Amino acid sequence: MLSSLPDAFAILMTLEGLLVLVLGTALGIVLGAMPGIGSTVAVAMVLPFTLSMGQAPAIMLLLAVYAGSVYGGSIAAILINTPGTPQSAATCLDGYPMAQRGEAGLALGWATVASVIGGLVSAVVLIFAAPQLAAFALQFGPIETFTLILLGMTCIVSVSTGSLVKGLLAGMIGIFLSTVGGDPIVGEMRFTFNNWQLFAGFNLLAVVIGVFALSEVLMRASAQLSTASELVDFKGVTLPRLAMWKGRRRTLGKSVLIGNMIGVLPGTGAATAAFISYAEGRRSSPNGDKFGTGEPDGIIASEAANNAVTGGALVPTMALGIPGDAITAVMLATLTLHGITPGPKLVEDNPTLIAAIFAGFFVINLLLLPLGLVLSRVAAPILRVKEAFMMTAIVLLCAVGVYFVRGNPFDLAVMGAAGVAGFILRRQGFPMAPLVIGMVLGPTLEITLRQGLILTDGSFWAFFYGHPIALALGLISVFALIFPLLRQFMSMQRRSL
Amino acid sequence: MQKLLNEQAMVLMGLFLIGSGLYASTFAQSFSNVATAQSPVFFPRTILMLWMGLTLIALVQAMHQNEASAPVASLGRVALLLVTSVVYTNVIGHEGFFLPSVVFAAMSLHLFGIRNPIVVALYAVVVPGALVLLFNHMLSMPLPVSRFTHLF
Repeated sequence: MLSSLPDAFAILMTLEGLLVLVLGTALGIVLGAMPGIGSTVAVAMVLPFTLSMGQAPAIMLLLAVYAGSVYGGSIAAILINTPGTPQSAATCLDGYPMAQRGEAGLALGWATVASVIGGLVSAVVLIFAAPQLAAFALQFGPIETFTLILLGMTCIVSVSTGSLVKGLLAGMIGIFLSTVGGDPIVGEMRFTFNNWQLFAGFNLLAVVIGVFALSEVLMRASAQLSTASELVDFKGVTLPRLAMWKGRRRTLGKSVLIGNMIGVLPGTGAATAAFISYAEGRRSSPNGDKFGTGEPDGIIASEAANNAVTGGALVPTMALGIPGDAITAVMLATLTLHGITPGPKLVEDNPTLIAAIFAGFFVINLLLLPLGLVLSRVAAPILRVKEAFMMTAIVLLCAVGVYFVRGNPFDLAVMGAAGVAGFILRRQGFPMAPLVIGMVLGPTLEITLRQGLILTDGSFWAFFYGHPIALALGLISVFALIFPLLRQFMSMQRRSL
Repeated sequence: MQKLLNEQAMVLMGLFLIGSGLYASTFAQSFSNVATAQSPVFFPRTILMLWMGLTLIALVQAMHQNEASAPVASLGRVALLLVTSVVYTNVIGHEGFFLPSVVFAAMSLHLFGIRNPIVVALYAVVVPGALVLLFNHMLSMPLPVSRFTHLF
């Protein structure tokens, strides 16, 4: 893949390539800074507009919005004590106290540099780790692929918010939705109930936007209406001088490492990484006792880790076709919409495309520095925009976006229904990521299961004899499912003592 | 009985009924007579069985824990926005993008607490209008138009 880097840079250095990188990162920073939008909604909103683009610019635009929004979340966290994205919640703890002391510019400076370093290191990890993992996964037949998808789904479910059972149930609903329409092997129609609109199945994008964006608007409407927040005094970002980094490099290094490691695990996400890194920073930093009072190490720990997750989460997504979280599930959906089959063969079949995406991701993280410096001043007044205007605009833009995919008004009705269903399920604590991931991975899961059953003469248990990789993946899947139950049982035992 | 009448239990019972209805529907249709695993309904039936089983487990858990759902600040607001959103996404195909969007935006702003009629009217007309202008007339990527005019 490294040999494809010159061609990849040729794609990046076109006017379209550069525009996509700069505008996507800028848009991501602004959307990420708006409380209530978040990375997943931001990426889902932009997704439909990528359909008129080529494969590489489309994915790069989404990556730019993703990385930009993760950084953008820190602007709201520091200036109004409201994280723009859940990943930035830990940044509030020290960012806002610093801003209250009149050091908002410096707090954003720490956040900017930590985010850029975290993102750049994760881009390097992505460039080197993803092809190795993909090369290993090329040995996989249908049985190994089936158990790999099973492992990915169990990991995602076992760490998703809410209960394990609800996560699994959401995954089943997503897999079921993927079965509506033509059977992938014999072509017979299933669950269409003579409605020709369902012959091609549910539009993935309409469901994704419904369950993430529209349901978010409804969730906001069900909570107390928020008023525009008070903004602290802010005159622009001040980058920390080199001497100020003394004694903080260790925290930075550890946080980047934690972010990358957690990012690679399917289902964990940037918010988890930020809080684990923050806790580790408080434990090991020489300034640990000052955490929570406006300590720069707290900002570094949170921001370096949450941005380092972005590249890490892309490793299983690009190398194995297993999304790390809801955002990477949306990315996989984009690949599918652009006619690319996610999975281990993706890297081998599309080396230039993958190299362009990886190189683009590196450039996006570099762009965070200049764009962050400029746009944090622009984004600050946007934080005063009332929730009503943002939520209404989200629905209008989602309707436009969903209609564009196929020009079919039926997709809008699907989006509406998915939004209402997503709202009802989210209120009961159902995580939405397993639903979307189930819908993305469902067709591959079905095909590989049925192919595997042909290979083993219909014996499911024979999947694990003579297939050591499948056996290992199956055992890890069982452990991933049992572990949270064991933990829950042990904590109940401890409480009863 | 009280344990079955809370919001969570009712949602789970609804899910169970949907799952069992879909499962039953696989027997009402005729599919080609191929080996069990290669039947078009083999995989969906497996998933629907897991769906029903997990719903029952979640229902037992919900009854055992008896946790209340998050309170709704204003039931009327949510109900109105729910209905408005569903109607809006269903009528765009018949009435075009602009007119339903103006009505939706006005309703949504009002429900989210914007009471100034000038601001509501301005936003409700300008934002959908700008989208129509951009997509229909500048990008030539037309949004659905109304039955009254091809302009919006």
